[in-house]
Amino acid sequence: MTTPTKTATRRGALKTLAGGAAAATLPLWARYTHAQSAEPIRIGFQQHRTGIGAAYGRWYGRATEAAVELINADGGINGRPIEIIAEDDGTDPKRGAEVVEKFANQHGCDVGFGTLFSHVVIGSAPRAGELKLPYFVVSEGTHVSSGMLNRYTLQPGITDVRSQVIAMAPFITDMLGKKVTMIFPDYGFGYDHRDALAPAIEAQGGEVLAKIAIPPSETSFTKYFPKIPRDTEVLYHVMVGPAVLTFVKELGEFFGGQGPELFGFIDSLEAVAIDSPGLEFLEGSHFWEGMCRHQQPDESAHETFYREAVGVDARGASVNDPADVSTYGHMFGCWETLHVIKAGMEAAGYRGPQDRAALIEAVEAMTDMPLSRAHPQGAKRFNGKTHQVFGHQYISQVQNGTLTRVHTTAIEDSLYPDMVDYTTQAL
Amino acid sequence: MFRAVSGALTLMFFAGAVSAHASEQGFVLLLPTEVYIAAGGATVALTVALLAVMPGGVAGAVFRPLPLAVALPRPRHILSLVATAVLLWLIWRGLSGPRDPMLNPLSLSVWVVLWIALVSLQGLIGDFWRWINPWSGLSALVARITGRRAPLRYPRALGHWPGVASFLAFAGFLLADPAPADPARLAVAVAVYWTLHMVGVLLFGAAWLLRVEGITLLMRSYARMGLLGRARGRLALGLTGWQVLARPMPSLSLAVLMLVLLGSGSFDGLNETFLWMGWLGLNPLEFPGRSAVIGPNLLGLLLTNLGLIAVFAICLWLGARLAGERAGMGLLIRRYAPTLLPIALAYHIAHYLTSFLLDGQYVLGWLSETLGAGHVHVTAGFLNSPGSVRLIWMTQAGVVVAGHVIALLLAHANAIRAGQSTRRAALAQAPLALFMVGYTVFGLWLLATPRGA
Repeated sequence: MTTPTKTATRRGALKTLAGGAAAATLPLWARYTHAQSAEPIRIGFQQHRTGIGAAYGRWYGRATEAAVELINADGGINGRPIEIIAEDDGTDPKRGAEVVEKFANQHGCDVGFGTLFSHVVIGSAPRAGELKLPYFVVSEGTHVSSGMLNRYTLQPGITDVRSQVIAMAPFITDMLGKKVTMIFPDYGFGYDHRDALAPAIEAQGGEVLAKIAIPPSETSFTKYFPKIPRDTEVLYHVMVGPAVLTFVKELGEFFGGQGPELFGFIDSLEAVAIDSPGLEFLEGSHFWEGMCRHQQPDESAHETFYREAVGVDARGASVNDPADVSTYGHMFGCWETLHVIKAGMEAAGYRGPQDRAALIEAVEAMTDMPLSRAHPQGAKRFNGKTHQVFGHQYISQVQNGTLTRVHTTAIEDSLYPDMVDYTTQAL
Repeated sequence: MFRAVSGALTLMFFAGAVSAHASEQGFVLLLPTEVYIAAGGATVALTVALLAVMPGGVAGAVFRPLPLAVALPRPRHILSLVATAVLLWLIWRGLSGPRDPMLNPLSLSVWVVLWIALVSLQGLIGDFWRWINPWSGLSALVARITGRRAPLRYPRALGHWPGVASFLAFAGFLLADPAPADPARLAVAVAVYWTLHMVGVLLFGAAWLLRVEGITLLMRSYARMGLLGRARGRLALGLTGWQVLARPMPSLSLAVLMLVLLGSGSFDGLNETFLWMGWLGLNPLEFPGRSAVIGPNLLGLLLTNLGLIAVFAICLWLGARLAGERAGMGLLIRRYAPTLLPIALAYHIAHYLTSFLLDGQYVLGWLSETLGAGHVHVTAGFLNSPGSVRLIWMTQAGVVVAGHVIALLLAHANAIRAGQSTRRAALAQAPLALFMVGYTVFGLWLLATPRGA
């Protein structure tokens, strides 16, 4: 459960609690009918069904479906079932804005939800703000907390890249080495890592020896490796795109197992089996993971429940096809965001679009979210001013072809000063 | 200050973390595709050499059809009427059904069933479009009820040119529309397209369908690739391409349409590549979406087609000069354009193979749910494993190479039939053969090169 602290009224909270308790004692069919209205809560799911985000969109869809099934089986939101209205945005910012508009004006959605790719979020959020449609994104970008969006855009279900990078730095300098070289793609995504990591490493007494930017269209990397300084202790890599497997293979051939420690982000290899032929060189290297793809011995009962509900096995692949590896490090964001929407609507006594502002305030009032079935990735802390959630980050090492968690960062490790206070903007 | 900087930095944060089939492409990039491409090009070059030394009749002989002791089935208007009813139902579902294109029967039917599967089957097997097109049945029904034929005569002077325009409009929608799979948008497009051509067919009769309607022209062109066809009034079976030799030469406008099929298919591949995006100055890892490339894609489609026609014409002109042939350019294009059909068809099949394997599962899923047979789990697992990715790539490459070999055989047989000696035919085709070897390499490169859209 999330903790409402600020704006949700006492009466509202009591009503919700009483309603929840009453609902829990009723048979399933009766839970909907006792509510003020059995009309479903319509959640517009802005899905990357086609375009470059389609592989992610598929798994975001599955996590969403599973969460909705669970919430509805437990009585829905305020006794009303959730209805998902999925719209394909083609992973296209312009279409993203059109989709948001359709949610508000055509489909009668209560909220919009589920956007992953940052450029689509940035293209869509202004429209959501104008239409005053609560827009819950699951994109991992720092754009929400940076202040570039608006009061109606929130990211309560997944942490942002800046907090991830900051939280990683102490582990890198303490456990792997203080002399770091970065290899990153030469555009925004890579710069985000570059600009967040270097100060964090220096704050830990480490040093970034070189920052090697690789042109985004590059498909052969061996020529860049001689630029890696000889005294490098850790190679931090965040390569993405189709050539990432080639990058790993050529890196392995270049160093022949004798090189520096490797630290990467699982984004590079989401939906790819870590034990694929050609990736042997990753053995022993470390990865940031949003959520541990391979089942850990101490996995919480909540996460095990989540795996089963989404249909994912102990290696993070579909239970129907072990080769179909999920986007495990990110898709929990959909599950958790839907639970936040539920908690927010219940705290706000949400009845319909007239209560959208109250919903925003109710979510802004949230702070600590304990590890639970609603938050299987781990405990979180929401910052109502910046609309961004913070949480634990996981560092895993590839051991015998399995991602084994070796470190969990504290929530405090990932915090950074507020860059915005959205609550000062008008609702 | 950080706000501004951060805005720019995070603008495309996640874009490109993974592309549609990033893992598949990742494994393709690990394959020694340069070796495979060279081998494919060499196979086609070897075919050229063999044809130059083999007796002239050999190429023609392999395309000789085998008559079957089965009467040619007559067109059944009832199937077309059923197709019309299904189409109208699909349009209605597009407007009223699920907004998710992978769950909406209209999007699935148009792009997976019709565009990928039926076009391929038409080319591989033969002409069944004549039975299932959604226009001819209704037109026959109206004629029967009113007892009158179409009131207007199609101006023959226009030839198939309106059909070329109609197909280009379709290709433009496929390649440049921001959301061609969006169910409601597609429903409107299909409804407009169907209505426009229905009115044309009612006014001008079957000639409209055979000369103006782009999909029918594409289907009839690919029907020439079918194993099954008509020879001397009977159903006959022959090697892919045999009907090109058995049928009369196409008109110039129809020949140009055949070139446009290949040109548009090639651009369909080209517009997704890192190379094309580099030309447009776009970062392939943060593709800004189809909305951002409407103009460039339309222009690219036109230029690719014009470029292909120009290069093809130059090869034919050079060949005619080398062989001392006096045939005019129009005749040469009409003679040789159909020989490019196997390349266009092969590339269509190869290009869409992965989409078919993935999106075809959504079609099965829809069927299964509709029939109450339960949920079908859509898997992309075969795109995540090196073994299956290699198998898929080799299949695509094999299809492309086979298409080019057949194209060469057809071109050679056509030259021999035009009365040239083997040596002259070989000379006349030297530039065209070079073109085909080059196109093989280009087609295989399109399958191997990284894509960003």
